[in-house]
Amino acid sequence: MKDFKILQLLDKLQFLFVKMGIDYDIMRKILHIKLTMDERKVPTLFNQNAKKKENQTYSYIKSLWIYVLMGLILIPFISFGTQFLFQMSIVYVMVMFIIMTSMISDFSSVLLDIRDRTILATKPIHTKTLNAAKFMHILIYLSFLTVAFTAIPLIVSLIRHGIFFFLLTILELIFINILIVVMTALLYMMVLRFFDGEKLKDMINYVQIGLSLMLMISYQFVIRSFEFVNLDVHVNFHWWSILLIPMWFAAPYELLFNGNYSFWAIILSSLAIIIPILSIWLYIKLIPTFERNLQKLLSTSKSKKEKTNRLRAFFLQLICPTHEERAFYRFASLMMKQEREFKLKVYPSLGFSFVIPFIFMLNTLRDEHVDFANSMSYLTIYFSMLIIPAAVLTLGHSSKYKAAWIYKVVPVTDYSLLIKGSLKAFLLKLYMPIFIILSIAFCFIYGPHIIVDLCIILVVGWLYAIIGYLCFGYTIPFSEPYDAMAQGKSTMTIALFLLLALLAGLHYVAATFIPYGSIILLFIIVMVNVIVWKKVFTRQPKYLQ
Amino acid sequence: MEQQEILTITNLTKSYGNKNVLNGIDLHVSRGEIIGYIGPNGAGKSTTVKIILGIEGEYGGEIKLFGEDIRQSGATYKQRIGYVPEIADVYDNLTGYEYLTFIGQLYGLTLDLATHKSQTLMELFGVGEAYHARISSYSKGMRQKLLIISSLLHNPDIVFLDEPINGLDANSVMVFKEILLQLAAQGKTIFYSSHIMDVVEKISSRIILLHDGKVAADGTFEQLQKDNTEGTLERIFNQLTGFDRHQEIGEQFVTIVQEV
Repeated sequence: MKDFKILQLLDKLQFLFVKMGIDYDIMRKILHIKLTMDERKVPTLFNQNAKKKENQTYSYIKSLWIYVLMGLILIPFISFGTQFLFQMSIVYVMVMFIIMTSMISDFSSVLLDIRDRTILATKPIHTKTLNAAKFMHILIYLSFLTVAFTAIPLIVSLIRHGIFFFLLTILELIFINILIVVMTALLYMMVLRFFDGEKLKDMINYVQIGLSLMLMISYQFVIRSFEFVNLDVHVNFHWWSILLIPMWFAAPYELLFNGNYSFWAIILSSLAIIIPILSIWLYIKLIPTFERNLQKLLSTSKSKKEKTNRLRAFFLQLICPTHEERAFYRFASLMMKQEREFKLKVYPSLGFSFVIPFIFMLNTLRDEHVDFANSMSYLTIYFSMLIIPAAVLTLGHSSKYKAAWIYKVVPVTDYSLLIKGSLKAFLLKLYMPIFIILSIAFCFIYGPHIIVDLCIILVVGWLYAIIGYLCFGYTIPFSEPYDAMAQGKSTMTIALFLLLALLAGLHYVAATFIPYGSIILLFIIVMVNVIVWKKVFTRQPKYLQ
Repeated sequence: MEQQEILTITNLTKSYGNKNVLNGIDLHVSRGEIIGYIGPNGAGKSTTVKIILGIEGEYGGEIKLFGEDIRQSGATYKQRIGYVPEIADVYDNLTGYEYLTFIGQLYGLTLDLATHKSQTLMELFGVGEAYHARISSYSKGMRQKLLIISSLLHNPDIVFLDEPINGLDANSVMVFKEILLQLAAQGKTIFYSSHIMDVVEKISSRIILLHDGKVAADGTFEQLQKDNTEGTLERIFNQLTGFDRHQEIGEQFVTIVQEV
């Protein structure tokens, strides 16, 4: 095991911890082990792309470049003028957003680690030391993140506004980090108080999904955001500013550099200093309660009754004629709804596929004046299908893939029914809702004459899903580990994207150049669909051969 | 009741690469027997069961279940088998209800029947309140109860249990033993494999000891006592597997522990 630079840096601050009554040597040992363990895992944000095998020690540091890039967005806000209250509020909104989301998605596991209780709390270590180790563990990472995100903007600020501005910002960033760790801990404490551990894990999961989606979309908007920068906005203090935490941190700039000694400027500035310090005190006070509540993560979650719906049961009968297929339809819908890792992998792109047709539509909108009644740009809805290959690929995998032993034990003869049921569940539960909402929106924009085309696209989507599943190996759903997912599938993904382009092109040609082309095409695609769905499912999947 | 042979294994062999796990096992099992299936780690107990269930393929010899060679009978024979593996992964992001009805449906039960049966069984087992909770939040004993129920939902004729009472409290163990006796009285056959010798000794109507991929002993507890040392099953186990160093190893262990 190698030693860590950050710990050597921490050694310099040793006296601080000793003064607080913390056993520094023990804390350092704990931190050392934790950092070593962390080096061996991949942060959530990069799970999708990273090939684990390639680089076992995929460290957190290496993943920070993306935050360096994202930090560039702060530069114009820091440097363009002296409307500090407005500018710095925006800056701190972004900083806090990034730190908070990263805290929740990547470091919740640290805060909620119950192994600590069985492994460490049973040893003769003072609780104060344990809690300090936990707090420092998170703080180390958040400071890495903050440095990555703000280093370049900070240098710009040093040049533009001088050394005092620079120092003030550093001080405030430290305070913000502390405040965020405490706020998150308090938030979890509240959730654990009123709900159970499963609910909390669900909430964290949704934050992770939201973060991934935000990042995907923000790439599209980063460049455009510079257009807003030249707006001359003047922001004043109001009594309700006190509720806006980022504004607290913007107030000192107004106070010190613009000489605004108004009542609210002073109040908010002092909040920026007092609250973080107070929060540390509160954290120390409440941490024993928090640790006790953590036990709830181990206990059984509360039961909730399932509603049965006759109508839904009837529809299910229509969609899935056989018994096994229905069982698997239900099972797959539940897995897609409840397996957190699946959601984390698929839901962000699901949201993205909802947004991306609009983004492309806006792009064409900026270039020329579009006549919606005659435009073919509604074909951008094809972009919503980009998620199908990835989603269908994920469908074959699960974090609990070992539970698939059950398929070998049960007397199921036709395993293709399992795939059929799951694919139908995916199309109906995840793809169709998005497609239908998109279609309704597009009908409003382009007029109802596009309904035939939308039908074609819908049916193409079904076809595309089954082709995707075939190309990705045709395995039993939820039976392979996620690690196996990245291997050698990229060429296939590109091929599938090309196929999609081809299908969209075909649609364009048929609709533009052939009389009644859309209707003929719809007919053909439906026929192809029926044949493919029939033919494919005579094959038995890979897992059981 | 007439002796009806339900499972016949003839000269079963299995190897992984050039390592032989099973070296010719012969077994005849009748209806209503509770068989204590014991042996040291790596003796091939789980492997035998996995082969019978079709989880492991490519074996030598012949297995007849319900009078039919399992190589020929397709998957339908599994309808009559229940199975609790030792280390059982389950899709634990589902609730007990969702998992059990799913398994029940795969065994051909209707959703309504599977719901009714699984809920009642969970309640009888004292875990009714967890029925609609996620399995990931279950304790070890609750999980084990769920697995036991999932193996019995479809009313199988033969049940393979691998360490089934792991994590159950004493009361639940009593309930479970009674369930086994009742099942056997109904003519079901039970294969019970465990390392807890006291339990095996008490509930089994017949004990089969596997050692180095072979049947080392087969008979009732009394017969085994007669053929080997008198005393507990544990002693017989030690003798048959040729292990007598426990005292020596224990002493050494404690000596090292005392080095500070």
